[in-house]
Amino acid sequence: MAVYRRGNRRVILVLLLVTSVTLITLDVRGAGPIGGARGLAHDVVAPVASVADRVFSPVGDWIGGVTHAGSLKDENARLRKQLEELRGNAAQNRAFESENQELSKLLDLPYTEDRDAVAARVVSGSPGNFEWTVQIDRGTSHGVSENMAVVTGAGLVGRVVEASGSRATVLLIRDPDSGVSVVTQSARTTGIAQGRTGETTLRLDLVNPAEQVDEGELVFTSGQDGSRFPSNIPVARVVEVTKQRGELQQDVVLRPLVDLDSLEFVKVLRPPEDRG
Amino acid sequence: MTWPVRLRLALLVLVTVVLQTTLFPDLRVFGVAPELGLVATIAVAYQVGPERGAVYGFANGLALDLFLQTPLGLSALSFAVIGYGVGIAQTGLSRAPRWVAPLFGGAGGFAGGLVFVTVAALVGEDQVIAFRSIWVLVLAAAYDALLAIPVFPIARWATRGVETGVMRSGSVA
Repeated sequence: MAVYRRGNRRVILVLLLVTSVTLITLDVRGAGPIGGARGLAHDVVAPVASVADRVFSPVGDWIGGVTHAGSLKDENARLRKQLEELRGNAAQNRAFESENQELSKLLDLPYTEDRDAVAARVVSGSPGNFEWTVQIDRGTSHGVSENMAVVTGAGLVGRVVEASGSRATVLLIRDPDSGVSVVTQSARTTGIAQGRTGETTLRLDLVNPAEQVDEGELVFTSGQDGSRFPSNIPVARVVEVTKQRGELQQDVVLRPLVDLDSLEFVKVLRPPEDRG
Repeated sequence: MTWPVRLRLALLVLVTVVLQTTLFPDLRVFGVAPELGLVATIAVAYQVGPERGAVYGFANGLALDLFLQTPLGLSALSFAVIGYGVGIAQTGLSRAPRWVAPLFGGAGGFAGGLVFVTVAALVGEDQVIAFRSIWVLVLAAAYDALLAIPVFPIARWATRGVETGVMRSGSVA
């Protein structure tokens, strides 16, 4: 039977706990070179991770296909129906396109093709179960830095929260730590599109019950002072509006326009002052 | 602990981090991914006892923390506690039944997740305070239990030659 030195055991555990708590405290307070350590770790592991990505992506795709087989069938039927509707809309949209380009030039809307942007490939999702992030294959060496907005053709994806030399981490708009200042399409009602724990939808916070919000309308980034995002980027569609007497705000649920579960390529928007 | 063992354990940390950041985000079931680093910590602690289990857990958790947006040290703390706890628990086993890997993997995975969520909530990570967190913990624990079956023999290989002072009959997985 073994004889253990209980005192030494506890000393080691206590030392590890004290170190952990110190690191947590430093990180929460934003002190110390922790951001740099994260960036360094990303850069060191990036070559190995790139090889692993190439090796494992077919495995992940196959397993993803198997685990989502049931929902894929339903989604296929829904998408076919949508395709028919979109074909009809496309013809109409082409007519609007040229008009829109002219108006964009006049108004200098930031969310247009001519905006300085860095194209990036999404290389992996979040390794943890309590955050919604993705990794992209562009970093500070490509001009990507923290707080830059990330978009696809469909709309807003999120913002860069960490950038190393060759990679960056994007916080998705559905993460509970994400809040986007938005404005509705028709009544120009403002609010904050906030991620919800464990949900794929967003909640529109701080909307006065007297304000008009309609189901089905789009919301765009407001670009108000202090906002991290440029104005007029499409964010989400209103899917549910509930008004209750006595409440100080409406209960508005939004569905992101971008399919955040199947991101492949994104664009990182550089702020105007960064243009060379 | 000899240098070959240290090297093998360092390799195990690197492999778990690479797999957790590349392959495992694509292996989500109902949006939940398994915690390979935590399972490796449980498996190593089962082989080497509480002190070394805690140290390995701290190192593996810290390495993983560098790739998460939650505060640095959160996984390190929870993995160290679980490594220590598993190390203590394994000393009470006189023999190793075959189901020990999924049992420790599942129970340790749930306990590790619970420590993570509790400490995260205490330091202001409000997003973990939700009913869904319980669902995530339960599903991740089930996933961890399955994952422990192949990970335990790997941990036994990585810690081969480590003297734990615990004599046990039977085999694991």
